[in-house]
Amino acid sequence: MSPRTWLGIVVLVLAVAPLALPPFFLQLLTEIAIIGLFATAFNLLMGFGGMVSFGHAAYFALGAYTAALLVKRAGVPLLVALPAAPVAAAAGALLFGFFIVRLSHTYFAMLSLAFAQIVFTVIFKWKALTGGDDGLLDVWPPALLKSPAAYYYFTLAIVGVCVFALHAIVDSPFGYALKAVRENPRRARYIGIDVRRHQLVAFVISGAFSGVAGGLFAFYNGSVFPDFAYFTKSFEPLVVALLGGVQSFFGPLTGALGFKILEWLISRQWPVYWPLFLGGIVVVVIVALPGGFVGLVGGRQWRRRPAAKA
Amino acid sequence: MSGLSVGMLLFLVSVGMSLIFGVTRIVNLAHGSFYMVGAYLMVTLVELLPDRPWAFWLALLLAPVGVAVLGGVIEVGLLRLIYRRDPLMQLILTFGLILVIGTLVLLVWGPDNKSVPRPEALAGSVKILGQPFPAYYVLVLALAPLVAGALWLVFYRTRWGMLVRAATVDREMLGALGVNVAALYTQVFVFGSWLAGFGGALAAPTVAVALGMDGDVLTTAFVVVVIGGLGSFAGSFIGALLVGLLQSFGILIFPAVSIVLIFAIMAVVLIVRPWGLLGRPEP
Repeated sequence: MSPRTWLGIVVLVLAVAPLALPPFFLQLLTEIAIIGLFATAFNLLMGFGGMVSFGHAAYFALGAYTAALLVKRAGVPLLVALPAAPVAAAAGALLFGFFIVRLSHTYFAMLSLAFAQIVFTVIFKWKALTGGDDGLLDVWPPALLKSPAAYYYFTLAIVGVCVFALHAIVDSPFGYALKAVRENPRRARYIGIDVRRHQLVAFVISGAFSGVAGGLFAFYNGSVFPDFAYFTKSFEPLVVALLGGVQSFFGPLTGALGFKILEWLISRQWPVYWPLFLGGIVVVVIVALPGGFVGLVGGRQWRRRPAAKA
Repeated sequence: MSGLSVGMLLFLVSVGMSLIFGVTRIVNLAHGSFYMVGAYLMVTLVELLPDRPWAFWLALLLAPVGVAVLGGVIEVGLLRLIYRRDPLMQLILTFGLILVIGTLVLLVWGPDNKSVPRPEALAGSVKILGQPFPAYYVLVLALAPLVAGALWLVFYRTRWGMLVRAATVDREMLGALGVNVAALYTQVFVFGSWLAGFGGALAAPTVAVALGMDGDVLTTAFVVVVIGGLGSFAGSFIGALLVGLLQSFGILIFPAVSIVLIFAIMAVVLIVRPWGLLGRPEP
């Protein structure tokens, strides 16, 4: 079957899901879609740009808090607050990314972590604005979107558009230039690609879409907490992308599905053991399954075109 | 003064982390977990051992050894399998270990905070410059420079220390010269874990031994190591003192921003000198 047919089947199944599934599973699917978007945005950096950020929770949290604060403190409707989420996240990503992309590898990861910890601490300490440890409660969407099915469709539509946009970005000349930068920065520079600018643009795009995911999650969750910016949250997209396979565009989405289903199955039975399993899975995947789950089932690699002859 | 002792404890943890990075190029995110296990082992040992004056000191000796064994098992059983892979994979693996160790500690010791009584001889306080100061902190202040001195002797006056220093400069060359680098990795990892465990055991009577301590120590030690320079021994010392003092004084002077201040300093250091104050630039 062609990818187009697969896509059609997936869309059809997701569209009729509310008819067959109880609300709980719709919520699970909503969460999977949000985490999937977060991980896909993250993987634009890791899989296609070769940059591993350890602080992506910062942009997720910036999106979540921007949306929540606008609704709570300024009283604006969701349709205004949600688009503001990626704007704030992108602004943060631009500010931090300007410094972060100047470094590489381990130092890149560490500086992104340092900035994320700053964001976390500011959220945690600025009680007057953010509520500190208590978070912001009662951040619900308007009545129209309040039912699980309605918010599910709403999330699905937005995530769908975002994933489509990310896909288009990866497939654009910019995406190819980014991959060139990943493979060989020096060579990319010789053929006239501004390496840092490409990395920064990718960082900002990735941050913006992480912000969308954060905004969607704020309304899904009905509340926001400083934990959204904590370093353990930063590892979530990393683990999800790793589970699904970083070499493929749809890997992170698949990973989100596997991740959330596993989390649900395990934490329903033994809530205490979930981190143990998560950690164990990470260890096993790293040591034994470098290709992730997608690699395990022999999934097609994402459009591996033959390398151009130099 | 308490800032100094916090700095000393931080030094023990971060020098181990820095050492492990210098030789194996692994940023060991599970280092905070080793520290936590050291503290919890201290709790158990002090409870198990008979109530005698020497029990505390024996526990202080044994707890880090337990952590060193744990570190050895992890190095041989897991990390050794992936040295050839992308360094980021190793980073993620050690992150996975944080979760595993954290849950295991929860299962073994339960969710309640624990405390370790200070040894009787050091339970009181002493007056320094007219200020009362817990006597136990004096021990910490005295022990840490001893450890630092011992480390200096080990690194600069023994053959093993020479090999470790050589490995931080050029591992391939060291291997080519006939040194068993794999064994050296294990030894360094075990030694680094021992230092983290010692830091945890020594800190146990001064703090509440609780589940979140792994993350707290990890982030602070991480800042120390980055400021001082990854792989630099003296850098960890200076970084630890700086961060320890900043934490203590920062809380007094500007309570709201002290942690932001520490991370801001780390960010500035990374931007201006990514390899840290006393580190070496990557070739």
